Parts: sequence; C-alpha cells; structure tokens
Amino acid sequence: MSAAIEIKGLSKHFGAKVAVNGVTFNVEEGHCYGLIGPNGAGKTTTFSMMCGFLFPTSGSIRVLGLDPTEPGVLKRKVGVLPQDAILPPTWPVGELLTYYGELSGLPNSESEAKAALERVQLPETWNVQAGALSHGMHKRVSMAQALMGSPPVIFLDEPTAGLDPKIAASVRNVIRDLKGKHTVVVSSHNLQELEELCDASAILDKGKLVSASSMAELTGQMAEFRVQIARGQVPLEELKALLGVKDAKLEANNVLCVSYDSVTVQPEEIITRAVGLLATKNVLFLTVWRGKRLEERVLQLT
Amino acid sequence: MEDFHEIGAIWRGETRRALRSGRVLVLLILFLLFVGLSLTVGAGLSRIADSQLSLATGGATPTAEQVEGPRKQFLQTFVTEDEAMLESLAAIPLMLLAVFKVTLRFLPLFIALMGFDQLAGEVGPKSVRYLVVRVKRSSIILGKLLSQMTLFALLMSICTVLMVLVAKILNPLFAPADVAFWTGKLIISSMVLSLAYLSLTALFSALVKQGGVSLVLNVIALFVIWFVALIGSAWRLPGELAMQGSLSMIKAESAWGYIRYASVWQYGDDLLHPHWGRFLTAALVHVGFGLVFLGLAQLALRKRDL
Repeated sequence: MSAAIEIKGLSKHFGAKVAVNGVTFNVEEGHCYGLIGPNGAGKTTTFSMMCGFLFPTSGSIRVLGLDPTEPGVLKRKVGVLPQDAILPPTWPVGELLTYYGELSGLPNSESEAKAALERVQLPETWNVQAGALSHGMHKRVSMAQALMGSPPVIFLDEPTAGLDPKIAASVRNVIRDLKGKHTVVVSSHNLQELEELCDASAILDKGKLVSASSMAELTGQMAEFRVQIARGQVPLEELKALLGVKDAKLEANNVLCVSYDSVTVQPEEIITRAVGLLATKNVLFLTVWRGKRLEERVLQLT
Repeated sequence: MEDFHEIGAIWRGETRRALRSGRVLVLLILFLLFVGLSLTVGAGLSRIADSQLSLATGGATPTAEQVEGPRKQFLQTFVTEDEAMLESLAAIPLMLLAVFKVTLRFLPLFIALMGFDQLAGEVGPKSVRYLVVRVKRSSIILGKLLSQMTLFALLMSICTVLMVLVAKILNPLFAPADVAFWTGKLIISSMVLSLAYLSLTALFSALVKQGGVSLVLNVIALFVIWFVALIGSAWRLPGELAMQGSLSMIKAESAWGYIRYASVWQYGDDLLHPHWGRFLTAALVHVGFGLVFLGLAQLALRKRDL
C-alpha cells in the first residue's frame, strides 16, 4: 500500500506563535486516518495545510504526490469539509451544490448534487437557503459538497461536532462507507468515534507530533488486554506463568491488565487461556477488551 | 481552457447570486437617487442661468452667441480648457454634462461600495475554502471581477440612459442623433473609467479578511488618488491663474505638477475627448492601472493564507 499523503517536517508559524512544529507522518491510501489532539494542538492548522488553505512555513506536504499549495492541483482529487467555513447564506442548497459541481468540472453537477444530498439524508433542503439551515444540517450539507464527484481523498474536520447522537451516527455511517474506497482524514475530539472509524492516527500536542501509528499499535491492541474484575482473588503469578505473557497486574478500579508478546502468541489464544484460568479460580469478571481505550492513551500522551 | 471554464463558472455564479441577493437593487436605487439629486440641482442651476441671461438681454430671446459665451466660460472653468473638447461638448446639454461629471466623481466610491466584500466577504467566514479546493485562486479573482464589471455595466447603463432621457426632455434642441451618440459615448467612457477602480476594489478585497476594513482602505486609496491629481493640477497652474482661482499659496508651475500623472484620475477627462488618439491613450492608461491593481490583487490572494 502506498502513501496517499506524505508530510515531512511540517511547520507553521503565525508571527511568533508556532502552531505546528516539525510534524512528519504518512497516510496510507484507502485508510481512514485520525488527527487527534487537545484544543490548540495544531490539528486544524495541519488539516488546512493539507487542503492548501494555509501555506507551510517549512517542510513539505504531498497529497497524491502533488503539492497542495500549487494552484488548482487538488481539483477533483480532494473533497473537504472545512471546520467553521460558512456556506454562502443567500444560495439555495441545491443551486449551491450544483455550482460547486460546475466549479469542479463535474459533467452532471445537478445529479451529483442530488446524490450527495441523498447520501447525507437531506434531499428536502434542495430549495432551502444555506443561511436558513440549522447547525446540523449545515454540517451535513457541507459534508455533501465534500463527497461530490467521489474524490480519492476526503478531508473531514470535526464532522460530527455539535450534531445530535442520531445524526452523528448517520454521519459516522457515511464515513464508514468511505473506508477502503477513499483515503479519509478525520479530525475530531470524539475519541471513541475515531477509535471506531480509523485505521491509523496522528496525535498532536502543542503543535508537535507525539504519536503516529496504526490504531492497533496506538491502543496496544496487539500487546495487552484488560479484564474488568467483579469478584474474586486474581492469580497474578499463575497468569504471568502462561506462555507469551510478559506481565500481569491489577490497575485502578479492579482492572486486570495483561501484557503479552504478540510475536509468540496470538491475541485470541492468550485471552482465551487467561480468561479460562480466571474462571477455574472462581474469579468473576464483567468485560474483556483489547488494548487501552484511545481516550486513556491520548490522555497519557498529551 | 480549464481556466476559462473556471472563470466563466464563477462569473455566472457570482452574477446570479448578486442579482438574486437584492444588493444590486439597493445599489441601483442609491445610484438613481444620487443621479436624481444631481439632475434636480443641475436643472435648478440651469434655470437660474437662463433667467439671468434673459434679464441681461432685457427679456428678448438670447442669441446663440449670447448663450455660448457663459456656457464656454463654465466649461473652461469646470470641465476643460481643451479647444477640441469644448467644441465637441457643445452638442451636449450643459446640465447633462455637469451631472455626468459629478456622477463620474463619485463613481469610484460607488464601485467600492459595490464590491468591497467580493473576496474579503468570503475570506472572513471562510466560505472561500469551498472554492479554493476546486478552482485556482486567480480564477476566483477574475471571475468575481468579471461579475462586478457586468453588474456595473448594467447599473451604469440604466443610470446613463435615464440621465440622457431627462436631458432630452428638458432640452428639446438636443438632437436625436446626438442623444444616441452621447448615450453610447458616456456609457463607454464610464465603463473604461471603471476598469481601474474595479481592479482597485478587488485588490483591497483580496488584501484583508474583513469587508469593513477593505472598504475603509479602498476609500483612503481613492482619496490619495484624488489628492495626488488635485495637488498635481494645482502646482501646474501658472501663478496668475492660481491667484484668480484663490490658490494664492501656489506660486507657479513646478516639477510637483508632474505627480498628477501618477494618478489615474488625471486621465479621466480625456475619455470624453473627440480625438481618438487622446481617447485611446486615456483608455490604455485606465486599462494599465487596472492591470497593475489586478496583478497586485492576484499576488495578494495567491500568497496569503485563507
């Protein structure tokens, strides 16, 4: 698999303020990639440089091998849902999307616009002025314009921010559908959502990259698992003696953490053996999960 | 080819949006009110001049020479000293000329009001981001500028036709052939004159992201253009003439007088000149200034973060 997006030593300064500092990571083709970090971490700035909205102070970006700062190179190759970008309020939605389609040089702009609105479940807004849309509708219409023409790379900045749970779930379904067919970059504060959707992610903090890896590596899915213990005495020494287990310990809230060597043992084998051992020792448990929750990992790193 | 398609699509879209938004209607009403006020003042002054002339002739109908004298003096004082131009302007009612000249004075301001937020109004709320992933930044500027030109041509044509019609009604001697000729000439002159100012407005709109700031900077630039032309013209006056015009602080023609050539305003009058050479020179200068402002606007938008 080749890299759809390559970022090397990327920096962006706004006067004396360093918003992004020497960030390097790649996004593989067909992956759903998360940009994670607290407020002010540099996510939107990095995102905006990838889309060609902002010029890097130093470093380089290649999107499908092209420099996004070059005029017009992203046409039909990239779809963008920018954060906080307001749709021109006096345009009716259908006409606006058709206009965007024409600008992209799509042969059937109107039918593309209708299909995109169907996809975000808002066909009824065709004649509604963009300025009259609710926040959630505005976000979805904005998403619809990003999907028009089925571009190979799609950037989504905070696609579910401010949406009610039902609408957010439908947006997540749309993103899930895109996986594998498009390279998708998603920036979000909703870590559960990113953990569920993304194949890999970059974590930024204060403008610097603190981690860039697959979601499995990031959450340690291939190296540890946890068991929420309800009752009973956990046989830690016996667990440590199991083949492939490197360590076993009890964490806060009666959570058992077992780390293992993923080279010598498969996760399903070691989890089954460990859970079996607990059962034979009359230890009652509630849930088992692989790795760490992304949220915990991000809190640890930032 | 792709560029032309992009520019054409933006031009169509922006023109459609402007026509639908009602802003054009508001600007048209504003401009018509201004022209109406100028026409009323012009007609009033014309009546005063006529009654004074009637008094001077003891109630008898003034001869052509008696009418021509004060008219020429007025034109020499307020419009031009160029003999060929004075000859040419003889065919046009004085009131129409005065109103048109006043309108031209305010045209740059009107253009600024019309287009100050064409780009700044999209950069502030970031809606320009929906465009820059689809088209070149240069196409955005050109498409929007073309749209502004179209709207301006529409508004100016309506106002000029109205001015000429009123002038014709008030001056029955204004020959139909002259009516047609001057309608075309005034529209073309104002269109050529507008090129530089439309580009100037695009430049300031490309430089900043708040529409209000763009408007203020644009108006300041217009004052600079006016002042440079005015100061340059004042310095060129010979001392004697300066005294007559109460410009006693200005001694005589000096090198400072040449700064007026740096102002596009200096060349506006020649757009009504009967000699093609003078007209074309003035038109080329306006196009040249327009291209410089447009080039700077392109540079500004191309290099800036959006």
